[in-house]
Amino acid sequence: MVGTVRAARHDGRWAFALTAAAFASGLALGASVVFVGLGLLGAWAHTRALVVAAVAIAAAAILSDASGLRVRPQIPFQVPERWRRRMPLPRALLLYGVLLGTGLTTFVPASAAWALPALSLALGDVPGSFAIALGFATGRALPVLVLAVGAEETVLAERPHGLRVLRLLTAASLLLALVAGEVRAADTVAVPGGDPSVAAADLAWQRPGVSGFLSRNGTVTPLPGSDPAIGGALVAWHVGPAVTVAARDTLGPVLQQTLPGVQKLAVSDRWLVWRAGPEIRVLPLSDPTRSARVAEAKRVAELGRPALDGDLVVYHRASAAGSWLAAVDVATGKRHRLRFARDALLLNPSLLGTSLLYVRASRCSQQLRLGPLGSGKERVLYRLPPLASQDRGHERHHTSQGERLPCPHRPKPTTRTLWTTALSATTAYVTVLRPSRGGRTTPTLLAVPRQG
Amino acid sequence: MPELQLSEAVAASSSRRGFLARAGRLLLGVASGGFVAAALRSQKAEAYHFCGHIYTTGSCPHPVGLPRIDRNGFPLRAVDGKAVDDLGRPIDALGRPVDAEGELWLDPDGNPLPSAPRTRVCSAAGREFGFGPRVDGAWYRCCGGRVRKLVDCCGFVRNRINGDAALTGYCYRGRKVFCVMYYDTKIKC
Repeated sequence: MVGTVRAARHDGRWAFALTAAAFASGLALGASVVFVGLGLLGAWAHTRALVVAAVAIAAAAILSDASGLRVRPQIPFQVPERWRRRMPLPRALLLYGVLLGTGLTTFVPASAAWALPALSLALGDVPGSFAIALGFATGRALPVLVLAVGAEETVLAERPHGLRVLRLLTAASLLLALVAGEVRAADTVAVPGGDPSVAAADLAWQRPGVSGFLSRNGTVTPLPGSDPAIGGALVAWHVGPAVTVAARDTLGPVLQQTLPGVQKLAVSDRWLVWRAGPEIRVLPLSDPTRSARVAEAKRVAELGRPALDGDLVVYHRASAAGSWLAAVDVATGKRHRLRFARDALLLNPSLLGTSLLYVRASRCSQQLRLGPLGSGKERVLYRLPPLASQDRGHERHHTSQGERLPCPHRPKPTTRTLWTTALSATTAYVTVLRPSRGGRTTPTLLAVPRQG
Repeated sequence: MPELQLSEAVAASSSRRGFLARAGRLLLGVASGGFVAAALRSQKAEAYHFCGHIYTTGSCPHPVGLPRIDRNGFPLRAVDGKAVDDLGRPIDALGRPVDAEGELWLDPDGNPLPSAPRTRVCSAAGREFGFGPRVDGAWYRCCGGRVRKLVDCCGFVRNRINGDAALTGYCYRGRKVFCVMYYDTKIKC
């Protein structure tokens, strides 16, 4: 391929530049089609098994490239040689680039090339897959173009140490990408800290037993009250039953109200919503003398922490008969049941526009899910193992025939529980409860990117 | 205890209440014990994937695995008989999750964590596999020194949970066995 690109040099500098650009463009195009296609496929069929398989393949590729093992499998297909004789060189190089960009033709120089399609599929994300495609195309184009400009085609073959160094670099890059991906999967925001609330670039949370905190542009400020909520241009907190609604920028109070039994707050530019015992109530900030009931839990049901975006309040209701996420338009009184589960626990929704974030704890996993407010495809942004183990399905000294286990793979349970959420344009926040003594739990606030 | 009530009912018609109550209790105990022992002697063999199961129908879906239920058909953890919810977590009498010591799990504000759904095992099977579930009959075996009640989860089904043809078993009125569960009594055997 180096020779074919180099041949364009005989027709002058511009012809060479055009040929090189055509080759690089073809690579980018071919790689984008394949990797973005895999990303779309992964988004459609995203499973934990895919992620596990991709990480396993990537780990094997890192080992192979780092230790210089033979790259297997190899691809026996070659690009059609006749193209360079029958077509103008730029067109032929463009098509060669497309074919090479798909990764389905010619020699595979590093095992990492096999990890990239798997990672793209597991990522299930179009921008991420596009970035992989560009990286792959660049990795294929650069050696060819560099050698075509200044060296002989045989230089790599005669100096295998060069390829060895390249494979080492590839392994290191892949390892870095995996580690960075894992780190990016969930960043710790506050320990202990929980019950997040977010608006624009501001984030508020509660530190148990201390007070609320507000983070703005990297500066964390303690608030003069607990269970903070932010929304619109406002922030709210309470000290006992005394609730304060203040301007978010100055923290200057705009409303002070006594609300007996208040536990959790949500606020927008027009409404203050709070949970007190078994009910959720709302009052308009324009007329704080009248409040109305949004929802009430009957008997053994439990209402979750309310979240508010504009006029829409969302909350969970959990009972032994089922759990569901509900939305109430406090301006019109219109009610919607957003999600329902008879065999899983749906918890602590938050919303931003038409996007809904919530926790789904089922028999085999706990998931932080992001999806449309109505029905539609959801994505799992963060996942924890289930909260309980399973037995062997059969008794000692009995056969396994006829047994039925709840989870396909024996889960390693965790005592950590996904809890309250908040959603911004770029980030999903979730509280993870970690058990401590006497049934108590300590919250940790995590930030998870919405994309990737 | 039904035996006690019956013996006292027998004795209630007599003026020598104390003596007859004791005698009636003894007679009933001997008679029922002999009957159970005789019944169990001939039925102890041919266990399948759990003790007492004598045919090939598979377990009903259960949050922990082995299809142990309480007397109302709700799931229990087989290893210790603790009540569990649909997530497999041990729970208290109100359905709230508890830790290994039986302490309520509390959120950072000190409120109990919410209850998860809890579904009767046969009902969950009916929902998952799309049939109207019904518990009709049961049979008894001696397992681990206690009488175990083996319960058929029935429905108008052609195939059982294993995928092959369903059988009538202890189901009535045209229903057939879809899957099996068991309830461990406290009666020694």
